[in-house]
Formats: sequence, structure tokens, C-alpha cells
Amino acid sequence: MSEKLLELKNVTMKFGGVTALNEVNLHVNKGEIAALIGPNGAGKTTVFNVVTGVYKPTSGEVNFVGQSVVGKKRYQVTKIGIARTFQNIRLFGESTALENVVTGADVHSKSGVIGSIFGTPRSRREEKAALERGMELLAFMGLKHRAGQLGKNLPYGDQRRLEIARALATNPQLLLLDEPAAGFNPAEKVALAATIRKIRDAGYTVLLIEHDMSLIMDISDRVAVLDFGQKIADDVPKVVQNDPRVIEAYLGAPADAS
Amino acid sequence: MADKKFRYNVRDHAAEYWERSPKWRRVCLSISFIAFFYALPFLNNPLINTPGSDFQSVLFYPVGMYVLMAIGLNIVVGKSGLLDLGYVAFFAIGAYTMAILGTHTGLNFWEILPIGIALAMFSGALLGTPTLRLRGDYLAIVTLGFGEIVRIVAVNIEAIGGPRGIAGIPTPPDFFNAKFTILDPKPYYWVLLTFTLLIVWMVRRMAARRPGRAWDAIRQDDDVAQLMGVNTLKYKVWAFVLGAAVAGAGGVLYASQILSIVPDQFNLNVSILILACVVFGGIGNLWGVILGATLLAFTPERIRFLSQPRILVFGIALVVMMNLRPDGILPKKKREHFDPNWHTVEESGEGEIK
Amino acid sequence: MDFALLRDAFWGLTFDGLALGAIYALISLGYTLVYGVLRLINFAHSEVFMIGTFSALVASGIMGVKVEDDPRTGWKMVLTLLVCLIAAMLASAITAVLVEIIAYRRLRQRGATKLATLISAIGVSISLVEAFRIITHSLPREFPRIMDKTFLLSYAGADIRNDKVIVIVAAGLMMFALERFISKSRYGKGIRAVSMDENTATLMGVNINKVITVTFLAGGLMAGAAAFFYILVYENTSFKVGFFLGISAFTAAVLGGIGNLKGALFGGFVLGVLETYTSAVFGTAWKAVISFLILVLVLLIKPTGLFGESIQQARV
Repeated sequence: MSEKLLELKNVTMKFGGVTALNEVNLHVNKGEIAALIGPNGAGKTTVFNVVTGVYKPTSGEVNFVGQSVVGKKRYQVTKIGIARTFQNIRLFGESTALENVVTGADVHSKSGVIGSIFGTPRSRREEKAALERGMELLAFMGLKHRAGQLGKNLPYGDQRRLEIARALATNPQLLLLDEPAAGFNPAEKVALAATIRKIRDAGYTVLLIEHDMSLIMDISDRVAVLDFGQKIADDVPKVVQNDPRVIEAYLGAPADAS
Repeated sequence: MADKKFRYNVRDHAAEYWERSPKWRRVCLSISFIAFFYALPFLNNPLINTPGSDFQSVLFYPVGMYVLMAIGLNIVVGKSGLLDLGYVAFFAIGAYTMAILGTHTGLNFWEILPIGIALAMFSGALLGTPTLRLRGDYLAIVTLGFGEIVRIVAVNIEAIGGPRGIAGIPTPPDFFNAKFTILDPKPYYWVLLTFTLLIVWMVRRMAARRPGRAWDAIRQDDDVAQLMGVNTLKYKVWAFVLGAAVAGAGGVLYASQILSIVPDQFNLNVSILILACVVFGGIGNLWGVILGATLLAFTPERIRFLSQPRILVFGIALVVMMNLRPDGILPKKKREHFDPNWHTVEESGEGEIK
Repeated sequence: MDFALLRDAFWGLTFDGLALGAIYALISLGYTLVYGVLRLINFAHSEVFMIGTFSALVASGIMGVKVEDDPRTGWKMVLTLLVCLIAAMLASAITAVLVEIIAYRRLRQRGATKLATLISAIGVSISLVEAFRIITHSLPREFPRIMDKTFLLSYAGADIRNDKVIVIVAAGLMMFALERFISKSRYGKGIRAVSMDENTATLMGVNINKVITVTFLAGGLMAGAAAFFYILVYENTSFKVGFFLGISAFTAAVLGGIGNLKGALFGGFVLGVLETYTSAVFGTAWKAVISFLILVLVLLIKPTGLFGESIQQARV
């Protein structure tokens, strides 16, 4: 059995009277590409928010490499190795692409305000390392030529890629991608699939939310399906694809037929 | 995408000129720029003279003091986007430290200065740590309250003079040949200018490094900043504390020049005016803030001949100005670089990550 | 410190505090309404109140009341009170609407930052204060006594004065009317819709500009009423009056949970009563300090105010 990197145990998340997640059990193995799918409003992004410390689950446990994430501050969660992107792009629009990425890379710097005022050797060293890491990641995502441009002025696709670069900059063990292919054309999706594989091959673990089934079936090692806050399937793509409950979740509800 | 509109942008051209200049030219430019400001009190020009008040005094207070404070408040409001409506409190803490220690102990100005700064920073941390967790709008009211509280406390404690304040604050000791007396504001102005240059230098360093990026991130999207690993509370408190330090230093110097202080000098209007300087000049942009503070401090003095309605004119000018240029005179605008090789960090080979 | 005074005069202080609280509550409604719709602190609202007090003063002059006169009686008194009330409400409402047009509208349509708008409002506030300072030669003005102030009854050592009873009752009626207006009328629904989600409200055909004008109008009417009640009880005003009342009223709005009408009401009364108690115990000088500390404590324990914000934003 492979090692479990992230594990959700009986996680329930309620907002007032609405139950967004109901006793969800979910895990991500080290080194895999896992996918989380489900109809709109199934609670996928809520899972991300619970994992990254945005929400505190009403009940249940969230463990990451053996330690509990529940109650940790958001920046601490990032520090121990979980980074994410956002469904609706949330870059720092008034900062350059490079600054966006370096903001993420700063997580592992130890020097702060005092160091930067006096220009201590450690501060200089860390500053240089963060910039280098930032440029490396921009190059990796094919954004090197955008380094000096403002986040808000980048084309849509580059903004999505920059979000991934920024998340990678924090050097996460687990990378959460929230609909990374939204709005992409088929060629861009193919390129993205290749990029995600490369990220995995570089030693990162990936959990992604996606609506594009062919992309999911293409790259993921395992697929979990959420419907109305409950997990209804969790298996390799082939099996999930033919699971009658999954088909019903997607097609069964008459209102959703499109 | 490059802006194709033809527009002669002085700032971009200046910045490019600066970037292309060799080191010797930068040094020459900086030195003459700084020398000009040190020589400013000797300038006697009818355009900038201030009828009704002494130009050299005006240079120290309000102009120089406003510039210093606006730079300090800009760290809080402009860099990290925290609305502080009680900035005067830290100025008052600095001034009262000077007044109390100066009249009750044998310490001189230079010895009190670090104490005043430290006390201002301490109260900044004390106020900031609990309240900076709150959302921005609440911060505004809490800081506004704090500014008033410091004044009210000063009014009501008889031991520090109550409403009459403290008189007989000693001037700084002679510094080489410069004598600090009530009659000559020039040495004070030079000290103030030195503070200001130091702080400008510090702020520019921070802005280009990790704290600057953290503040940028916090200002733009606090939630995402946290999720990208920025300890937002820590950096907010730092912004608050640094802003407080600047105001504290200003307060110590101010008290040593004016010789006597009363609590009512430190009212809400000062906070509001400093904030107006920041926003009026171009929030977040250091040069804009300096220009804004200069204009807002200088104009009421220049139009002192209007005596009665000058504050009214000032208020109307604020409204008109904000309606015409809501981002200030010199808005903050980051220059973009389209040159793919703009950044000189070496590459470790395209398409690979560690 | 004088805890004995608080113990002996507890009910009287409570009653006085409620009268003061009613005035705070009326002003803070204006802050809360505008905040709900624009997400902005209307910095000029304190001057809307200030102008209300002066308008009541002018109206009393027009009605021929002089400071040295004896209080009026009968229907003549009722008429004078009503005229002053209406004058204050109208003047404040008009000022509030003008403030919106001058300080806010253009900036809003250009999508300016919050801070720019705030400075613009501060500019209006400074201009109004200065204009009144010049007009009044920096002197406070006395308001003539229109009605004879008598103690209606004494209960548990508390002297219930008639003017304060009028203030509490009338303020209650005003708030009730406002509550009806917000929950039932077309514009009230518009205000609530914009408070929840401006974009969706626009898509649903709500005319934002009109809704905002109505919001300022409603806030102005309440501030005007507060201004009249203030001047009726305290019988003086000055160009500075808005400042102190404004800070307290805004604190009240935050205390209750800004953007929330019920919260503003509750916050106003709580603050009024607490300020009165603390004035009795520590002396008037310290009441602002105490209310500040209370505010900070409340915010630390419950960051969205006692009643919570009406609009809970989904975060991230």
C-alpha cells in the first residue's frame, strides 16, 4: 500500500442549516494525481477550503502527513506543505508575475522586516534564492517572458498558469488545483495535462477538481466523486466511469440534463 | 500589452533614465537632490514664501513634519492597505515622551529619541496585535477611538499637565556648530530632513523585498495572501509598528522644537490631515505621498492671507481633487517590463523544476 | 470613582442613558444604512446631524421663540416642536442627499477606491464644519426652551423627565417607521437587495442610484430627528457637535454589528446607558475611554458586533 499524504476522516461541514459535506472520507496517496469530481454544488471546493484551513470542519478529522490540519492557521497549512489555486482566478493583479510567484516562494525564508532593512547576508541570500526559484517556476510554466508584467494584464490562460506557478513556489508536498482547465481550448488542455504529469513526476502530489472528463480520465490515478456533499465513488477512472451511481449523479437529475 | 496611446509620462521617463544611468551619475544626481533640500531654508523666493508666517518655520512645521508623518502613515495605509484614523496617537506619544522625560530627567533629546520611538512602537504593537485581526472597516473605528483616547487621557491626568499640557521642554543640545533655539528653526529642519531621508531609504529597501511583497499581497487579497503562506497578522503588525515609530520620532522632535505642548494639538484633525496627504498625493506611491504632504501642508500657509476661510478652501479643494483625480496627483503605478530578458536571474534550464 | 452614585441613582441614570441612547441609535442608523449599501463609512454623517441642530434652531427663531421667553404651552407648543422637528429632518435629509451627490456619486461611478471616497467625504465634512464655524463665529448657540421640563413621576428614585420621555417614545416611533419602510416598501426592498449583492440587484432591475439616494435620505431623516431631540434635551449646539456625537454613534453601529439595523438600535441604547453609568462612576471625562474599551472588547470576542453583520459574506 502506498503512503497516505492527506486523509479526511468523517468530515462534516455545515453552514447554518446547509450541509456542504456529510461524513466525507477521502485520502490522497503520496505521488499520485487524484481527482475530485461531481456536479456543481457537490462540495468540491468546500473540501479544498477545509483542507487549507479556510473553514474549520463542523466535525471530523483532516490529517496531513500524520498531523492534524484542523485549527491550523492558513499560512501554517501552506508552510507544512499544502498549496492551492482558485476556481475564480485570484492573482495579485497589481503585482508582476514574478512578484506573484516570489510571494509564494517567500514562505521558506526566515528573514523578515529587520533583515531586509539592514540587508543582512541571510536576507540577501534568501532574497536571491526566492527570486531564482520564482524565475525557474515561471520558465517551467512557460511564463518567463511575462515575468515583468502585471498579473491583471496577462492573458487568461497565462493567469491560470501563473496561479499554478505561484502555488508551486511554496514548495508544497500536495498541490490542490481548482478547475485548472476551466476556459481552456482542447490544445491548451492537452498541454496542461502534460504539465500536471510533469509536476507529479517532479515529486509533487496533485489533487485536482475538474469538470472536463476526458482530462480527468486521461491523467488521474484515482477519482473520487462527490454528490450533495457525500462521497459516492472512489476508484480508478475506469471503474468510476461505469459506476451507475456516478452516471445517475451526473445525468440522473432531470434538472441537470443539458 | 504595451499601451499604444502616446502620452509623455514624466515618471516612466525619469525611472528609465535612472535605470540606464551609470553609478557615478546616480550618485551625482542623488547628492545634488539631497543638497537642494538641505539648502531649502536659504531659498528666498516670493512664489514659495509664506506671508503671515516665517518660511523657515513653515518648512519644519507643518511641511517637513507632514511629509515625515505621511511617509510613515503610507507604510500602514498605502503599502499594506490598513485604514488608520488615529495616527496622531503615536505622534502624541513621542511628543509626550520628550516632554515628560525632558522636564523631569536629565536626559537630552538624543537620549530621549530612542525611548520615544520605542514607546510609540510598543503602543503600536499593543494596539495592533488584537485589532489587526479585525476587518478593515473595524480597524478604522478602533484606531480613530485610540487616537481620541490618547488625547483624552492626556487631558485628564493632572500629573502630565492635564489640559494645560507641559511647558519648558528643553531644546536639543548643540550639535557641532548647530544651535537649537526657538529662534532658529533651521537645525530642526535639517534633523527632520535627515530622519526623512533615512526613512525613505528604509521604506524603499523593504518595499523591494519580502516585506514589500507581503504587504502588496495583503493589500490586494488578504485571504489569498494567507493561503500563499504569508503570516498576514505579523506583517500587518509590523506595518503598524513601523508607522508608529516614524510618528513617534516626529513627535519627539516636534516637542523639542515647540517647547510646550497641550493635548489639544493632538486631535483627530491631525490624523485626518495626514491621511489626506497620503491619499491626495497618490496612495502607496512614495513620491506622490511626499508631494501630497508638501502641497497640503504648504497651501494653507501660503493662503494664510485668506485667514478665516482657509480651512474651508482646503476642504473644498479635497473634494474637488478627489473627484477629478481619485487616485491622487501621482497615482501608484507599477512599471511593466516587456523585455523577456529583463530579469537577470540565471535559468536552470527551461521546463525543469526541482 | 463613585460607585455609590451609580447605586443610588441607578434607575435615574438608566433612564437618562436610554434618552441619550435613543439619539445615538437614530444617528447610527444612518451610518449602518449607508454602510450596508455602499460598504463605506459616511464620514460626513456627523455634519448631517450638526446641520439638523442648527436648522431646528433657525426654525425656532422663525416660530418666534426667544431664549429669554417662558416655555410655550398647549397647541402652540406642540406646533412649535413639530415645526422644529420637521425642519431638522428636512434639512438633514437634504444635506445627506447632497453629500451623496457631491462626495460619492462621481467617485462611485468611476470605480474609485474606498479610501479616495473616504477622503472626499472627509473633505465635505471639513468644509461643512468650517462653514458653520465661520457663520457662528466659533461660538456655541443656545436653544430656547420651548416646553416646560417637568418630572412626570418618580420611580425607585428615578426622576422621569417629560422631554426625555418624548425623545424615547418618538425615537422608537421613528425606528419603527424606518423598519416598516425597509421591510415593506419598494425602495426598502431595493436597499436590502443592494446590501446583499449589488451586482445581482442591478441585474434584477434595481436602480442603484435611486436606492442609494433613498438610503442617504432615510439616514438623513433619522439624523435630523436625532438632532432635534438632542437640542430639545441639551438646549445647545455648536459647529463641533457632530464630531462627538458622530464618533459615539458610529461606535454604537459597530458595537451592534454594522450594516444591521437592529444592531444599530441596540448598540445605540447600550452605549447611551453605558456612557451614562461610566460618567457617574468615573466622571464625564472618562466616558469616551470606557466606551472605547468596551468596543474593543466586544470586537475581540465577537468581531462582527453583538448582532452580527446582516450580510454574511462567503469568504474565499
